[in-house]
Amino acid sequence: MLLEWMMNGHAILYTGVTLAFWSTILIVGLCYTIFDLGFRFDVAWFLTETSPFMWANLGIGLAISLSVVGAAWGIYITGSSIIGGGVKAPRIKTKNLVSIIFCEAVAIYGIIMAIVISNMAENFSGTTPETIGARNYQAGYSMFGAGLTVGFSNLFCGICVGIVGSGAALADAQNANLFVKILIVEIFGSAIGLFGVIVAILQTSKVKMGD
Amino acid sequence: MATRGTLRLRSISACLAVFLGALNVLNTASCDEQVPLILWTSEGISLPRQSPPAAGHIVGQQQLTSYLEKVLNEGPKNVVLFLQDKMSIEDFTMYGGAFGNKQDTAFPNLEGALMSSSSPLVLPAVSWPASNAVIGQLQDQLDTSPLYMDPETLSQLRLNGSSPALLVFRLPYGIGADLMSAKEILSGNDEVIGQVLSTMKTQSVPYTAIYTALQPSREAASLSMEAGLGGGRSLLQARGGYRERERERERQRRIKEKAGTYAPVEYKVEELTSSSCCVRHGLSTDRTICNNASFILSSLSLSFSPGGEETCILLWAKSLSVYTLRSGRWDFHDLTPSTFGEGVIPKLHGSSCDKTKAKLVLNYENVLGYLNFKLIFAMSQRHYKVSARRWFTLDTVELEYNGTKAKFNGSRNVYAPAEYSYRCESVTNFRWPLLVPRSFNDPANQWRVSFEDFQIQGFNLTGNEFSYASDCAGFFSPGIWMGLMTSLLMVLVLTYGLHMIMQLRTMDRFDDPKGPAISVPQTE
Repeated sequence: MLLEWMMNGHAILYTGVTLAFWSTILIVGLCYTIFDLGFRFDVAWFLTETSPFMWANLGIGLAISLSVVGAAWGIYITGSSIIGGGVKAPRIKTKNLVSIIFCEAVAIYGIIMAIVISNMAENFSGTTPETIGARNYQAGYSMFGAGLTVGFSNLFCGICVGIVGSGAALADAQNANLFVKILIVEIFGSAIGLFGVIVAILQTSKVKMGD
Repeated sequence: MATRGTLRLRSISACLAVFLGALNVLNTASCDEQVPLILWTSEGISLPRQSPPAAGHIVGQQQLTSYLEKVLNEGPKNVVLFLQDKMSIEDFTMYGGAFGNKQDTAFPNLEGALMSSSSPLVLPAVSWPASNAVIGQLQDQLDTSPLYMDPETLSQLRLNGSSPALLVFRLPYGIGADLMSAKEILSGNDEVIGQVLSTMKTQSVPYTAIYTALQPSREAASLSMEAGLGGGRSLLQARGGYRERERERERQRRIKEKAGTYAPVEYKVEELTSSSCCVRHGLSTDRTICNNASFILSSLSLSFSPGGEETCILLWAKSLSVYTLRSGRWDFHDLTPSTFGEGVIPKLHGSSCDKTKAKLVLNYENVLGYLNFKLIFAMSQRHYKVSARRWFTLDTVELEYNGTKAKFNGSRNVYAPAEYSYRCESVTNFRWPLLVPRSFNDPANQWRVSFEDFQIQGFNLTGNEFSYASDCAGFFSPGIWMGLMTSLLMVLVLTYGLHMIMQLRTMDRFDDPKGPAISVPQTE
């Protein structure tokens, strides 16, 4: 029975990833300790030597990809319910498309933020931490933070709107009066995505990359 | 005529032998290139089988002597030596038709001779000082002086089968830069070999023939050490174009040729004035007790050197060079020969060291037109709170000349824990700079310094050897960290995606295995 449990795909995947991650950390830590090279573990060195471009582009990538994951998840949940409910109650089709639109809005927030953040990435000519300058580092980290902010907010907003929309579709199929009230719940759910966008814009408002 | 000729030849060969011997002594540097040596006898003569060297084994002088002794004891005493200027085993693999194209080979006569000989001896790797001295060795073993000939003069010579003779044919190699000409030169040499061998055959004198060279024609491929950021890997930015890389390779080759083993520059201080000696010998650090104890110990002549010197600063580099900007050009001066090497004693007046500061002053004379030139390394050590350990930094590198001081700041990049030494492949102020001029109008802006394979230690020295070397290149470079971070993110995304996909299930709510199968009619 243990073998059957192990044969489960999830179990293999998660044990594999966890094992890889923790063994890497263990071996790296052991090597630092045994060879008395602990002085080389330098977080400041990592943060100043890695290129601000990496952080900026990770932010841009995360902004769009996490938002899209949220939107996709939401649409997948709501869409299945609408299609399923629409078999017996075809009248719900048109009205419930608004839930899909709320989910899609999340993806639109994501792509708009990705474009806004990517427009801030400029070339700079420094190669050492001194010549790169504090402003470029701030730009890189801000763009990363903004991307994370908008990405994760939209991810959870999308899921939330999706689940609420799914419930709305099924409730609407049973009783047409319920839909309007449930829409208010969806609006609240959608607002949280917007909060993420606002904060991300605030984070990148002072970004000025370049020489 | 013969006696005068042989006398002159003897004197020439003696001078040549001495010159070659001197060259051998001086060529201690790169003995890692090898020259092949091919030996065969004329038809019909068979030598006792000698075990060929193991693959990859480099035959040294002693072993070559023993091979030649065995051959010359048993075989014919007429030795024909084809001595090419340069040869490497690669010449044979490239031009000898070794890849199935036998018709293109540049050595038809050589191959014919080897095949017709009954006991050829092929030594693919003879260390080139040994092959350089092969004339001398043959001269000793045959007890005759070499005759330098070419094919025309050979036909006029009457050889005797019983008396030993050493005939040397010098074959050119050429510059070696142009590939086409190398093959032509080798073909030409092979023709000369063919002519000589046929002449020997018509004279029907048994002979032993040797084909080797004075020097290898190709250097062994070396790992190109690209000095990256602070001497580390240069994954991120490949600087410059092709010409930059060529210059870099030239520089590395020049440095490699210079590399020898020599002791580091040591700056010593009087031992008795520091209490460290007493601590080392397990005595108290109180000055009077220490002095009395040391006096007693010294009178008992235990292992303690009174008035001994303790090394305080150590410096080693493969090359120290400075460049100064004069009328638009960079004038170069190499300080290495006046600092390091056998029997070189650098002048260290003005150096000082104590517990927190160390200063090494190298005094030179006549550098780039300046009468007194000083290269000063100033280091300091202190305790740093955040990392809770002591670190030392190379605060400044100064060039002092004619009263002017050119200062480079190195404390930003040149540092190591105080117990260790600092080592870096390349410490410069222009190529992946670790040293920066103090200010933008400092005279240091007119100078370039370049220290290759640089190691320095100014504190916590035990004995006269460096402590563990903290290298300026870490294990992971920034590029590697960035790659690892991004890859980790991708792996997380992949995991998440896989999780999602793996939890998709086909709907089986309405499955009815016992019911009728679904029919999809082809027609309406």
